[in-house]
Amino acid sequence: MLTITDPAQKKILALLETQGRQGSALRVAIIGRGPGGFQYDLRFVGSGEKGLEDVVVDAGGFQVFIDSQSAPNLEGSTIDFVEGISQSGFRIDNPSSIWTDPKAKAVQQVIDTRINPGVASHGGYVTLLDVKDDVAYIALGGGCQGCGMADVTLKQGIEVMIREAVPEIRQIVDTTDHAGGTNPFYQPSKGGQSPLA
Amino acid sequence: MPPDRTSRTTGQVAERMDRLLLLMTTTTYRAGAFLDAARRLNIPVVVGSDCPQVLAAANPGGTLTVNFLESDEGSRTITEFAGQYPIQAVIAADDDGVILAAEASAALGLPYNSVEAVSAARNKYRMREVLAEAGIPTPRFRRISADENPGDVAPPVPFPCVLKPLSLSASRGVIRADNSEQFIAAFHRIVAILRRPELAAQGGELGREILVETFLPGVEVAVEGLLSKGRLRVLAIYDKPDPLNGPFFEETIYVTPSCLPTATQEKIVAHTAEAVKALGLWHGPIHAELRVNDQGPWVLEIAPRSIGGLCSRTLRFGDGISLEELILRHALRLEAESFERERQAAGVMMIPIPHGGILREVRGEAVAESVAGVEEIRITIPLGQEVVPVPEGARYLGFIFARGESPEGVEAALREAHRRLTFVITPDREDPEEKLESLSAERGHRADRRIATAG
Repeated sequence: MLTITDPAQKKILALLETQGRQGSALRVAIIGRGPGGFQYDLRFVGSGEKGLEDVVVDAGGFQVFIDSQSAPNLEGSTIDFVEGISQSGFRIDNPSSIWTDPKAKAVQQVIDTRINPGVASHGGYVTLLDVKDDVAYIALGGGCQGCGMADVTLKQGIEVMIREAVPEIRQIVDTTDHAGGTNPFYQPSKGGQSPLA
Repeated sequence: MPPDRTSRTTGQVAERMDRLLLLMTTTTYRAGAFLDAARRLNIPVVVGSDCPQVLAAANPGGTLTVNFLESDEGSRTITEFAGQYPIQAVIAADDDGVILAAEASAALGLPYNSVEAVSAARNKYRMREVLAEAGIPTPRFRRISADENPGDVAPPVPFPCVLKPLSLSASRGVIRADNSEQFIAAFHRIVAILRRPELAAQGGELGREILVETFLPGVEVAVEGLLSKGRLRVLAIYDKPDPLNGPFFEETIYVTPSCLPTATQEKIVAHTAEAVKALGLWHGPIHAELRVNDQGPWVLEIAPRSIGGLCSRTLRFGDGISLEELILRHALRLEAESFERERQAAGVMMIPIPHGGILREVRGEAVAESVAGVEEIRITIPLGQEVVPVPEGARYLGFIFARGESPEGVEAALREAHRRLTFVITPDREDPEEKLESLSAERGHRADRRIATAG
């Protein structure tokens, strides 16, 4: 199911000790999909916080809890801990394809090859969150999150590109929390400059 | 001129494929509202903006970069574009685009206001001249140069007076002065604003001029209207219950319908119609601001565009259509089922910036939204960004929207929601680690919730 390498196991045990959380479990979950693949959440939880349908992996010295939705997509994954000069951290190698639905795969390809290279010039990126029936759920991030022109980018760009490439998709739903954007590329204001000058 | 079109269903609209040019700069609040309205009507849209759209190459007929500051050049760009993608109507979402919309419409033979009329409406001094010449009550006024010595020109009109930079709009740089000392201080403060690099670079001749006019006591109202061949159809009258007596004039609460006596409202409408006629405006949306005192209404401003910011969300017509949809229907000569505003009272608070600094945190959004009648709170300045109050600033912290049975109830709901909000604004250089960490955690939580909802 899931392999924990020796360096990762040692690091996790060390963290449990330094945080005084011996006996706790590691919960691993897939929380989304992004430009780099799956997005993960790793956190310590009490041993009593195991869900009824959780998959449990004995990692030697601690247990790993995986929720039933994440488990299929974590099959065959390896959690490693890498130490480098500039940065260190856990790395998850996951052989699973990010999408299995052909429509989702096609939408992801449009995002990866056409949309994200475009919005990257404004420091933005688009994440495909899900595809259900003929609806694609996306989120805008970086410079697109909270941007005053996000609606234009969405309706005059992203929607056109996705529908053109994947005609089965009839609706694109932007689920972005635009109020949470911290660095929008364009920002609205009132009382600007008169064009009379 | 486009063919006469009447239709009630979006399907029929789609068959004709009318293309609409929406002019909006990248600082607009209104892109979403207009694009949503176009989507509902199934109208192909071209967004004309001052900066290139990030995915423009993917949809060549969907976006257009135009020069808003040099409207003759911008108009040429639009007419060339229209040669390939025919345009049936031009709409300016904000002040910035109205002159360009007029020039382009004239070049394309589309109905709109004349360039002369729009230019007069966009120039506070010229507008005052036109209104005064037409005998419409207007404050006494004079124009002075930012290069003058304020000590030499004071007092150009009796005190108390209000100083307004001609090149800026809304409340930016608008300051009241009650005596010579305040006049000179206000003058220097406005000059400093006009010297800001982002404004000085584009200000030109108008950017060096200041309008000085007598301060008018009284309450302030706003009128939203739609012109058809010069005939004014009033869509809403808003009361502004917060006193706007200076020294600065930050807009806060707008509530409609107005609580003023019917006779007073009739005078407001009459004065607005006279002002519109005097300026020569005849087609499309108008937004007017008036002061009302014991001498009657005084026209402060007539703008050839609809209400700004996100405030249009307070307006719903007929079976719930938005102001933007009404404007699009009007521009494309599509029949609207009703121009009647909904029965409920509605209002908005443009959340004022209490003091300058860095916006670190907004507390109490959930409890503020739980106030009866409050529909939504939108914070529009990202955390971590600088906030600048008027007269130097040009943004709001956000908007609170409410609906209710009475204007008084709506106003009370807006005030109560605002009271429950706390804005943590720290001085520029303060960067408390702890606070930032806690904010990061909150953003992470929001993201989790969003993903869960989408899934």
